[in-house]
Amino acid sequence: MKIRGVFIEDTFAEAFTMRIARIIITARSPRWVRAAALKLTGFATSVIGCKVEAGIERELPARETPDGRPGISVLMMTMGKDDLAKRLIERIGQTVLTCPTTACYDGLPDVSDRVGVGSALRFFGDGFQVSKVIAGERFWRIPVMEGEFLVQEKFGMVKGVGGGNFLILARSADAALEAAEAAADSMAARPGIVLPFPGGVVRSGSKVGARRIKSMIASTNDAFCPTLRAVTVSALPEGVNSVLEIVVNGLDTNVIASAMKTGIDAACRDGVVAITAGNYGGKLGPHHFYLRKIMSGAAE
Amino acid sequence: MSGLVAKLKAPLRQRADLSEALAGSWATLSARELANRPVYLEQDGSVHLGDLFALDGHPQGKIRFVGQLDQADRLGAGLIEGEVIVDGSVGREAGLAQSGGTIDIGGDAGPRAGAAPPGFKRGMTGGELIVRGSAGAEAGAAMRRGLLVILRAAGERTGLGMIAGTVVVFGPVGADTGLWSKRGSVVALGRITPPPTYFYACTFQPAYLRLLLTRLRSSYGLPVRPRHLNGLYRRYSGDMAELGKGEILAWTSK
Repeated sequence: MKIRGVFIEDTFAEAFTMRIARIIITARSPRWVRAAALKLTGFATSVIGCKVEAGIERELPARETPDGRPGISVLMMTMGKDDLAKRLIERIGQTVLTCPTTACYDGLPDVSDRVGVGSALRFFGDGFQVSKVIAGERFWRIPVMEGEFLVQEKFGMVKGVGGGNFLILARSADAALEAAEAAADSMAARPGIVLPFPGGVVRSGSKVGARRIKSMIASTNDAFCPTLRAVTVSALPEGVNSVLEIVVNGLDTNVIASAMKTGIDAACRDGVVAITAGNYGGKLGPHHFYLRKIMSGAAE
Repeated sequence: MSGLVAKLKAPLRQRADLSEALAGSWATLSARELANRPVYLEQDGSVHLGDLFALDGHPQGKIRFVGQLDQADRLGAGLIEGEVIVDGSVGREAGLAQSGGTIDIGGDAGPRAGAAPPGFKRGMTGGELIVRGSAGAEAGAAMRRGLLVILRAAGERTGLGMIAGTVVVFGPVGADTGLWSKRGSVVALGRITPPPTYFYACTFQPAYLRLLLTRLRSSYGLPVRPRHLNGLYRRYSGDMAELGKGEILAWTSK
């Protein structure tokens, strides 16, 4: 299969089941919503080193937020259920609670599986906190020096998918970056997905384990490193001098497949030789996104 | 509106106590079953709800009362579920000790709406009571939880001895509002003079109030204005003669 001259390899992206929460942050102005969201999603690219993966899902106009202020929705995900509660409490407590004018709401209100967040953060109020029940949901008003921080008591949690991916194999670093930027831009702000890496792009795709240090759980994906073509078993076709990866996490397989289709289509441009995907032979992750099926319209 | 319609057959010539009409579980009862519930008339004693009202339709968790009901007392008392809509005004003690569901009164409510029954310590413990007109004295007295909203004036001693919960008043609020409260919030969008046992804390924008008012506007179509959402509120803590964890949030243009 070729799209505008770019070869689509007959392979699949292998992804994992993750626990996902959607966090709605609001604030007096877009400036402070963004400030909180950027901190909340900082250092959250991969569970390998960050314990959590997170990203901005989309900006919300005031009419779409619970309190009628500008907002941003964030998706945060971990491998385990207990882990997600811990990470939410840590991160919301350190980044959203601390940010001027913000409030923090659950973005998955219809989900029955719920974890306590405000119920833990309330203790920062040192006994001065107050709870309010609005439309059956409990919120905590935590007094802070600026005024009050409002946070919902519980946040919904669903099983989602992490690790949808594709690799852009290009003739040059410039071409790879240009294609990756186009792909990330086309996928940005799609409901239900986030691209957890910087700018949505990864330059350091990894393989499981390491050749030298056996205790490492991940190391550089040498098969796709152009500089190692002569010294390792390379997976790179002739003429490829740079590879970038797009990683996408989402609420379900359909939104990921749809986002991958859009991204791959945008990445198929001059200077790109092929599109492939990262997998572990299908043995680790239960979700397999076949590139050719996706590009021909079929889902996972 | 789907659900049951209870239309008053003839004007009430004496006070009627409807405290058992909707108490406890009622949302799945048929019109006939609901018609058998007792009502106590001040002079004639016990009759059935069906003797006073023509009931049509299927409840499905909703009932609308139609007719001149300002002599009907304790409508929605002990409500635990469902949606009750009243087209006009009601008498005393509407939503007495309500613990769930919604009561939406199109007109005025007499004294002690959402309050505690005589001899009991707790008023509303849940649910939402909307009065689109004015409310008499001691609305929300001894509230423990829940939400009471009054669109016009609230009488004196509103929220008397509140234990928790929220009272929102769009119009002027009577004297001694929040007196003896332990916790809870009285939100005054109109004129109010807090009792002397409430102490001024600060002027600020409570985020939770934006959330609450935004929801009241979207769920009930209440006339929440941008000045209510974006405005400042003077916070008074009290009642300092009690626990002192309650508050009056008084909207201010300054």
